[in-house]
Amino acid sequence: MENQKNTPIKSKKRAEKGPNQRLRQRTAILIVLILIIGFGAAIGRLGYLTLVQGNELQEKAVNQQLKDTTIRAKRGTIYDKNGKVLAESASVWQVVLAPANFKNDEQRVAAARGLSEILELDYDNVYEKTKQNSYYVVVKRKIEVEARDKVLELSEQLSKEYNCGNVIQILDDYKRYYPQNDLASCVIGFTGSDEQGLEGIEYQYDSYLSGTPGRIVSAKTSLGTDMPFQYEQSVDSEDGNNVYLTIDETAQSICEKYMKQGIQDYNVLNRGVCIAMDVNTGEIIAMVTVGGYDLNNPYELSEADQKEIEALPEDERSQAESEKLAAMWRNKAVTDTYSPGSVFKICVASMALEENKVNDKSTFSCTGSMTFGKDIIHCHLHSGHGTQNFVQAICNSCNPAFIQIGQLVGMNKFCQYYESFGFREKTGIDLPGETTGKFWDNDMSEVDLAVASFGQNFTITPIQMITACAAVANGGEILQPYVVSKITDSEGNVVKTFEKNVKRQVISKETSDRMNEILAYNTETAGATAGYVAGYKVAGKTGTTEKVDVKDPISVFSEDYIASFCGYAPADDPQIAMLVFFDTPSGSAYYGSQVASPVFINIMSELLPYLEIKTDYKESELQYVDATAGNYIGLSLDKAKEQIKNDGFEVTVKGTGDKVISQIPSVSSKLANGGTIVLYTDEDSREQTVTVPNLVGLSATQVNSVASSYGLNISFKGAVSSGGLSTRQDIAEGTSVSPGSVITVTFSSSSDNSFND
Amino acid sequence: MSPQSRMILKADINRIYDDEYSEQKIKQEKFFVRPSRQRKMKKTKWFSIGMGIDLPFCAIILILLTIGTIMMFSASYANAYKYQGDSYYYLERQLIFIAIGIVAMALMSFFNYNKLHRIAFIVLLISYISLAVVLAIPTSTGIKRWIPLGMFNIQPSEIAKFAIILFFAHWSSKYYNKMQFARYSVLPGIIVFSTTAILLFLEPHYSGIVILGILTVLMLYIGGMKTKYLVIGVLILGAVVILLALTGQLSYAMSRLDGWGQALEYTTEEMWQTTWQTRNSLYAIGSGGLWGLGLGQSRQKYLYLPEPQNDFIFAIVVEELGLIGATIILLIFALLVWRGITLSLRAKDKFGKILGIGLTSQIGIQVVLNILVITDWLPNTGISLPFFSYGGSSLIMLMAQMGIVLSISRTANIERQ
Repeated sequence: MENQKNTPIKSKKRAEKGPNQRLRQRTAILIVLILIIGFGAAIGRLGYLTLVQGNELQEKAVNQQLKDTTIRAKRGTIYDKNGKVLAESASVWQVVLAPANFKNDEQRVAAARGLSEILELDYDNVYEKTKQNSYYVVVKRKIEVEARDKVLELSEQLSKEYNCGNVIQILDDYKRYYPQNDLASCVIGFTGSDEQGLEGIEYQYDSYLSGTPGRIVSAKTSLGTDMPFQYEQSVDSEDGNNVYLTIDETAQSICEKYMKQGIQDYNVLNRGVCIAMDVNTGEIIAMVTVGGYDLNNPYELSEADQKEIEALPEDERSQAESEKLAAMWRNKAVTDTYSPGSVFKICVASMALEENKVNDKSTFSCTGSMTFGKDIIHCHLHSGHGTQNFVQAICNSCNPAFIQIGQLVGMNKFCQYYESFGFREKTGIDLPGETTGKFWDNDMSEVDLAVASFGQNFTITPIQMITACAAVANGGEILQPYVVSKITDSEGNVVKTFEKNVKRQVISKETSDRMNEILAYNTETAGATAGYVAGYKVAGKTGTTEKVDVKDPISVFSEDYIASFCGYAPADDPQIAMLVFFDTPSGSAYYGSQVASPVFINIMSELLPYLEIKTDYKESELQYVDATAGNYIGLSLDKAKEQIKNDGFEVTVKGTGDKVISQIPSVSSKLANGGTIVLYTDEDSREQTVTVPNLVGLSATQVNSVASSYGLNISFKGAVSSGGLSTRQDIAEGTSVSPGSVITVTFSSSSDNSFND
Repeated sequence: MSPQSRMILKADINRIYDDEYSEQKIKQEKFFVRPSRQRKMKKTKWFSIGMGIDLPFCAIILILLTIGTIMMFSASYANAYKYQGDSYYYLERQLIFIAIGIVAMALMSFFNYNKLHRIAFIVLLISYISLAVVLAIPTSTGIKRWIPLGMFNIQPSEIAKFAIILFFAHWSSKYYNKMQFARYSVLPGIIVFSTTAILLFLEPHYSGIVILGILTVLMLYIGGMKTKYLVIGVLILGAVVILLALTGQLSYAMSRLDGWGQALEYTTEEMWQTTWQTRNSLYAIGSGGLWGLGLGQSRQKYLYLPEPQNDFIFAIVVEELGLIGATIILLIFALLVWRGITLSLRAKDKFGKILGIGLTSQIGIQVVLNILVITDWLPNTGISLPFFSYGGSSLIMLMAQMGIVLSISRTANIERQ
């Protein structure tokens, strides 16, 4: 270094260690550091990110860039058997805010004020929403057309006056309407805020009803606006399928009407169930759980329940409320279990017949009770039924007789039949929440068998009972009950149909036929005249279950009862089976024959004609059958009289004219065969009135004679020909009515028969 | 290439002793050099020797500028439209800066770089003054990095970088023989760096400190400092950083360091916001794949990646041109550095050599640091990409410095006799 002035050529050797050599070496290191290591690391890192992590990162980027707009599908409609709408969705809208697009408070205030006014919301609440840093805040859902139009106007106004047109969005939304309100509420069910099915058919067939939402996928900038290049894919939404029920809206309302009345009349505490089933297919024609709810307001409790909740301390309220709601939504017909009581004797009798353990000559004696070691089992008739044959035992509903029948069948066979009648499995009905009851597994004792023989100490569901009953009626086939007949797509093409599904044969056709005869005989002549429907051969059996204390089932019986009736018609060609049961009637009447039978009769006498099942009146019944008044107005008096005679009615003329100017009962109204038509021939005579007499507590003949003495007509309902007494008149005593007016009088079996259970 | 020139080239490469530093001589020299008549006679030459500028180096600069401008436009137009109301906002301004920059580069290429010897201290003084001035200018964010000068802002740290390179090139070429002594190498290094670093620390501009630190060490190393001092220096630097961290003075940098390496994992909302830029940079790079989405097809530039025209421009480059395009661009950068260093080595004196190496290395260092930042290997600290990132003062400064390298290239490889 000290020799700086040496020429390069002279000092070639020393040049190796010269200052430039050191510089060159250090530069070489520098180049290695920067170019090889530095750039190498940079390129390597980029390679790792693009090639190894590329897909993952790209996916995240794309997720961020793609804005997915869901197009909601229209939920399918639920129809009854005849195409009547039970549930449908209507187009409504939802208002969504993108508050991140607000630039100043002035805009927020304007938007919040406008929205809160139009949508009837709290201003402070809306204003809070405008302050969120988000692009999607739902302000209100399910708004109607008028509100939507106003919001759109507001949006335009905001855009003009405040230069923020991109904050309010209107999106599609749907609302579920139930035009029949509470009809068949426990079957149909309801939907949640996103139209997801929560109960009943809405839940069970949610996947069919909900359809497939569509999507619009498009590339958006971070502000949500479109990117300037094509990057859009859309998938159309597919509307939900329509569901057709086997339930007939009219049949359902007939059942509900009488069930509601029954609940009131007998002061039933724990709701009631009525199931009507086509015995040949398994279709459910009507399924009622009384104490249903308005499907349009499924979260609204009854007033009584609300009061009960308000009485509770604050911290227990919300739990009590959800319990009440759950109880209200429960479909008692499939989710609740009960002991069938005497109704179960149908099955026990069938199995005994099928196994040839009994015949018409078998006799059973009843002393009023039977003793099993310590336990004494009483017959409901404490004095005893004496010696009875098989049919009498059924008609008497004699417990000791059935204990003997059960013993004849034997424990093994009994359990086998119990299983094949379908009591140990779910029926497979297409409704949510189906349960099964409790029965002994392998620990059944003689006493258990004895008690089980008359339907106590085990539990089943109402749907299981009616399915077994239908099997007895239809020739022995255990069917799978169902409530949906078909599913169609939104254009009406059938997607799926549901048909009769025979699970197994439980008894033979012969046994079934014999049971039909016996049970029809039971309703017609023997004790259980309750269940008798004029014009039809009805087979049936009452049942009164003492609700059992769970801890000590044998000896301790509570004071609560379940009154039920299970039957079918016509007995010679069974079509419709029906189970009526009331849980805990608290009035003076609580026997199945007192509580369930009248309701069964009322329903059947209206349901069977509606379903166009052929009538078969006996001579004695004809006078109580309704006929239809014709049109006699405008006719001359003579002609009218002649026509009325032809129609099978009596005639009374009021007034002095010779032309009929009006008539009572009016055209097409129903009155009993042989009733009186009152014809008016002048105006003055029309002002005459009669006062309605008391018609309750009388026999049919008495009612007839009282009515004719007052010049009134009667329409007979209920157990008329079976010697029952009238229990209800639709126009109250003391009311002034025109002569000839029709008063509907309902009859019930006399209480003498109520102990046959 | 003629055999004769090859011989000359070989001789030049093997030159062992440089022209000695002589203030007298520099004083006598002209301010502007002019190609000799003889040089002009030679036609299209790849390797210009003598008074001509180094054409490959110049060409590489122009290629990078062209690619950089196109990419800057592509990356910026969505942002420009949204925030400036004009898609061409950044492009128009950048083109003006480039025009000014090219003029500056051309002027500097004629400027006799040896004259810089005399103004090395003056430039350093200007650097200090501007670093002090910037602290006096109030800003809304509390971060004081720019001196507003009408149309564009000046970043004093850009001046500081040049001042440090120039100062140490001057110093170490003047005292090359004494650089082995600590008082000639380590002492001025510490004094100049630490004073500058303190001023930068007050801005605060930590990435500036890091780059200046690297440049100081690099210049001293090239200038002949003993390796053991380098090792000691690195250790002391580490100790200082630890000390600052312990006293909590690094809070700003730490808040940026916090999200380092965890851009893709959601921990807290605050952290998610902090790492927003880095995360979207990674998304962009990952989206590019091998071949890229195509020029102009970036999606991340649509307001997902904040300020895509600045430090993170290369993420958009990768997204649009893929790994292939990015690698080619990086190789062009590497070529620039290589060419710059090799031509500087042929300069006729030590000052030219060290200055040229310093100026070109600075580009390489900045490119590498920039890539490591956008790929989340280094904390997001604000290091721009030369020739690509938008920015007036820094681009013009950069072009002027490239002009100096070109000026050096005029003297490189000249026959000594």
